[in-house]
Amino acid sequence: MSLVFELRSVTKRFGAQTALDAVSLSGKPGQVIALLGENGAGKTTAIRILLGLLDPDAGEARVLDVDSRRHGSEVRRRVGYVPDRPALYDWMTVGEIGWFAAGFHPLGFEAKYKELVAHFGLPVERQIKALSKGMQAKVSLALAMAHEPALLVLDEPTSGLDPMVRREFLESMVDIAATGRTVLLSSHQIAEVERVADTVLILRHGRLVLNERLEVLKSRVQELLVTLQAVDTAAPSLSHGAVLLGARRMDRQWQLLVRDLSPTGLEALQSLPDVVDVTARQPSLEEIFVACMTTSDTAGWAFPERADVGSPTEVSR
Amino acid sequence: MLMRIDASNGLPIYDQIVRQVKFAVAHGALRAGDLVPSVRELALQVAVNPNTVARAYRDLQSDGVLEPLRGEGLRVTKDARRQCQADRQRLLRDRLRGAIVECRRGGLDTDDIRKLIDDLLKDTQREGVAS
Repeated sequence: MSLVFELRSVTKRFGAQTALDAVSLSGKPGQVIALLGENGAGKTTAIRILLGLLDPDAGEARVLDVDSRRHGSEVRRRVGYVPDRPALYDWMTVGEIGWFAAGFHPLGFEAKYKELVAHFGLPVERQIKALSKGMQAKVSLALAMAHEPALLVLDEPTSGLDPMVRREFLESMVDIAATGRTVLLSSHQIAEVERVADTVLILRHGRLVLNERLEVLKSRVQELLVTLQAVDTAAPSLSHGAVLLGARRMDRQWQLLVRDLSPTGLEALQSLPDVVDVTARQPSLEEIFVACMTTSDTAGWAFPERADVGSPTEVSR
Repeated sequence: MLMRIDASNGLPIYDQIVRQVKFAVAHGALRAGDLVPSVRELALQVAVNPNTVARAYRDLQSDGVLEPLRGEGLRVTKDARRQCQADRQRLLRDRLRGAIVECRRGGLDTDDIRKLIDDLLKDTQREGVAS
């Protein structure tokens, strides 16, 4: 399967600040890929390099088999892009801006745009500047989707928007994935990401610390609540191939996030002499994200392949 | 069929879909021969990734709850109800078992647990939660 987009060991510096440090990532047809990270982690920089809006200092960016650095305008014509702050000509009406944008795209753009505008319930005759923030975001989404792009890129599209608008964005993403196209989404709405994404990327201080399918994350990561006989400042030791991803202590209890803990490993932990009780549960993506952002050692977050984990599944249509 | 998905409740989303379809069949909201929504329709309805819905439907097919109907989609099989009722029973049993194991770990003995369960049975009967 060919790649829809790819960053290959991309580095970008702004003065003394390294915004991206040898980041490699890619997306395939039909995937919904979520890019997570704190503000300033490098998410927008990565997106802007993919779209050819910014040149990398090292490395390569390609989208739909086109070099982003050399043919940025072609890349931007072929993908749909919703930036975090949509820059629209606000003196145009909703209808006019569709007509204007149609000039840059093949035939059929305006008809599809009108369809989306009707679907989103936008007033065609109203000027953009007279629209609410949520409606402006929907105009931006309609413009990004009207040429039915093979890749839709959303950079924190729903921050500050009401739940109904966020829901419409979610549905649009689901629809795009259902037709075998690709979505790259940067977001802070982790619960939303958890619903629609199949792959999660986490950037931290310009470095990619996690790149894994959500299904694999959820099946291999466990949260353990370990109660000890006495206060111990060292986290209980794990055995049988389990890897500690994060640990927190409150008095006699340790909260551990672990990867690949087998039933035997759990039993071994339960039978340690100073362990009173162990409770295991499935953490949410938010808990995994927080642990990933706060751990000092990120080595364990590169999940090695495991034989029993299958390849990505296809949508049956 | 109405579905409620909670992405962060610890159960994988495909599993939540499988369970809710089975429960719907078990109590008769979905009957033998009924068509379930297409992958895309259900994905849109509950706003989850279509691959997730597809996976749930594959599981339901291999469990014999759904079967393909040529050109129409997936429908509930003839034997689905009996099977889903058995599945529901097993899921409830597992949950009760988990609660009882927790009681034992909490230091309650068999008589304590039995008394607790008897009390709860009476409580729920009074509240009319029964049946």
